[in-house]
Amino acid sequence: MIRTKRRAAIAAAAGAAALALAFTGCAPSDSGESGGGDALRVWAGSQTPLTVTFNPYAPNVLHAALGPIYETLFSFNKTADEEPTGLLAESYEFNEDGTQLTVALKDGVTWNDGEDFAADDVVFSFEYEANDYANQVGLVSAEATDETTVVLTFSTPQFTNEFKLLGNTWMIPEHVWSEVDDFTTFLDEEPVATGPYVVEATTEASYTVVANEQFREEGKPAVKTVQYVALDANQSAQDLLAAGELDWAGMFVPNPDDVTSNGIISTINTPQDPTVLYTCANVDLGCAGEQTDVAVRQALNVAIDRGTIKDKAFVGLTGDISPAFTLMPRDEKWLADPANEVSPQTSDAAAAGQILESAGYVKGADGFYGKDGATIELDLISVDGWTDYNDAAKLIGEQAAEAGIKVNVGTVQWQEFSDARQTGQFELIVGGVIGTSVADPYQIYKDWFSGTSTVAVGSELQPGTWNFSRYSNPVVDEAVAAAAATNDDAAKREAYATIQTEIVRDLPYIPLVINATQTFFNSKDFTGWPTEDDLYVFPPAWGSSSAGVVLANLEPAE
Amino acid sequence: MKFYARRITFYLVTLWATISLNFLLPRLMPGDPADIMIAKLQRNGEISATTIRNIQLMLGSSDDDSSLWDQYVAYWGRLLQGDLGVSVTKYPAPVSELIANALPWTIGLVGLATIISFVLGVGLGAIAGWRRGTWVDHLVPSTTVLQSIPYFWLALILVSIFAVNLRWFPIIGGYDVFEFPAGPDPSWAFVASVIEHGTLPALTIVLSSVGGWLFGMRNMMVSTLSEDYIVTAEAKGLRPRRILGAYAARNAAIPSIAGFSITLGTVVAGSIVMEQVFTYPGVGKLMFQAVQNNDYALMQGVFLVITITVLAANFIMDLVYGTIDPRARQHA
Repeated sequence: MIRTKRRAAIAAAAGAAALALAFTGCAPSDSGESGGGDALRVWAGSQTPLTVTFNPYAPNVLHAALGPIYETLFSFNKTADEEPTGLLAESYEFNEDGTQLTVALKDGVTWNDGEDFAADDVVFSFEYEANDYANQVGLVSAEATDETTVVLTFSTPQFTNEFKLLGNTWMIPEHVWSEVDDFTTFLDEEPVATGPYVVEATTEASYTVVANEQFREEGKPAVKTVQYVALDANQSAQDLLAAGELDWAGMFVPNPDDVTSNGIISTINTPQDPTVLYTCANVDLGCAGEQTDVAVRQALNVAIDRGTIKDKAFVGLTGDISPAFTLMPRDEKWLADPANEVSPQTSDAAAAGQILESAGYVKGADGFYGKDGATIELDLISVDGWTDYNDAAKLIGEQAAEAGIKVNVGTVQWQEFSDARQTGQFELIVGGVIGTSVADPYQIYKDWFSGTSTVAVGSELQPGTWNFSRYSNPVVDEAVAAAAATNDDAAKREAYATIQTEIVRDLPYIPLVINATQTFFNSKDFTGWPTEDDLYVFPPAWGSSSAGVVLANLEPAE
Repeated sequence: MKFYARRITFYLVTLWATISLNFLLPRLMPGDPADIMIAKLQRNGEISATTIRNIQLMLGSSDDDSSLWDQYVAYWGRLLQGDLGVSVTKYPAPVSELIANALPWTIGLVGLATIISFVLGVGLGAIAGWRRGTWVDHLVPSTTVLQSIPYFWLALILVSIFAVNLRWFPIIGGYDVFEFPAGPDPSWAFVASVIEHGTLPALTIVLSSVGGWLFGMRNMMVSTLSEDYIVTAEAKGLRPRRILGAYAARNAAIPSIAGFSITLGTVVAGSIVMEQVFTYPGVGKLMFQAVQNNDYALMQGVFLVITITVLAANFIMDLVYGTIDPRARQHA
């Protein structure tokens, strides 16, 4: 009895060992094969498991849906000051006061199911409930005056919404979407659209799109298959790029040379979005702390050594910021005073001290400035784990201390950060400002600096407004309104000059750097990428409409 | 019989308590999933007010008007029908589906790795204890060092050496996503791909956990070997192998087996870091994303599965112990 039992045990052990061997040893390795083949492999930032939704109105819509599949009327190049390129439309024109927009559509475009793309589809798309344009932009009516002309009428001037209307409104087919009951739960697994690609296969780990045979431009897209993979870590994407298994990704890599040294991958950096210090600036709306004194903000502004921050916290990849929030050189024509082209790149502790002293502050025995016996003491927070921001905050703390301003640096969780900026209960935060999608800083002035975009401390900001600093200045508000109502460059420049003078002096957001936006692409097997010399469109793989333009433009290398 | 009745009642009460806690805990957390999603989108540039409105329409606001008690009753009602709700991060995928898809990967890989690690650790530990004082003792510090290295670091190093530089193993995934763009299919090539992709992740788990089993087993072995019945066995002239297997190792392994059952229970929780590093499909990642995005339904679903399995593993262990060791029944 005992003997047989033991034999069974030995057999089991041997089995387990064999299994262990199978799992731990000697597996064949052919993973490094074929960077070539036909498929272009993309990481656009999705994580596993993927949820299949190509519905352009879903917040977690898969990246290929916007651009490669669904299209907008025009494509805007946010890296340059140039006219938009027509995708589904030829041209557009505003009437005198900006309340009527006439769009001329291209002829002979079809949906990928073979039906004709008609002016009625455009009308349907603009009126579609998910866009909510009646409330969002005051759309009064959308009308198809003939087969290829659509006239949109608004209750207010829409010059500043050009991008939103023409570059960010997805064209959907009426014959499909009129039967969708509830767009919030619609998955749209087989999207009918006009873009260069159609969906082929979807899984939890990746999805594949193939060339749309009905695409309006002959011979495009030349790359027939594009596979989007989901990855959970930047490191994996970096490894795959280095191994030549991934062809296109937009993400942050501190040492781009590690990835490009294989001779396959090239990189391009297109800084777009400003990083700033949010300051809760407005006492009238309930802000508390010494940073509400404009002198303190000005002193901080000159005490910061942006050059060091750029090199140490952002590994030298960021762009230099302008205190006027014009993205240089793209927005050059909107910069009123050349002195505001770039914020000081080195620290000037003496100047900071002067500003504070002339505002009535005195240096205490501990080396820090204060007023009436109370030392200035500011709390600076950043989101725990955003290491570049954490490092920048630490540097700012040290630099401020050298200039005699006491800044306590700390990190907080995501939620705390979000609550703090939403409700205005903070002193200083290292945070981001959303860069504009067109060569015009208007959207930043309106959403981040105008008094209509903010509420009192304690209440949450309205959706789509970002004025976390609670800054409210009637002069700015008036100029923003004036800029919105005109399409005349001279009048607009004048309004912007007023705004710039105010915000450069008041500094409700203390500018730091322009964030790096890195894109990595396989220039050995594919040609036609946007490059430094020919930056025809914003290059990242997650770039929405522009990603579709890039894909349609690519060709396999011979 | 009384013993079993008592145990079963105890576990039922525990189960009720954990499920109720599971209901309560996410509601004590601050924050709103819609807020988080908006702020994340913001990092990729301009987002329109329309998008924001749609997000709020879809995800709803977190304030529910009904009383906590009504929510609690409704929660039980849905739970009994197997409805775990809809995930916010993966909207509109049902939580039960997400978990069902992730579980086989987790149980397959983490489960196997845990078993391998246990068998290896206890086996080597027995030998190390038996041959204490010889070169075999070096196994102890070398494996415990591996265990004390932070797992993510070990995993990243192994990926960098064996996957990126030597190209022996694939870098990511549960299978070759480039080779099988249409997903899993029932072929031997696919099975081979799964095994190939599981090897390195399994290796990292085994490397980082085998030390604990080995160390515990070796020390138990040393103390067991000084017991009187071992001396008796030696005095009887039994073969050393028999003493090692039937007398020493068998008794020394009892605590390890208890620990093993609990470890097996937590296998369903997956290995969060491993799944992140290797982009491996699994439950740990779901939990991670749920917490990151304040996805209450997904969080509750994952916690529920984990607690139930841990309880079940404990329950089974309790019963097994009651059978093999009568003392446990008496004093329970």
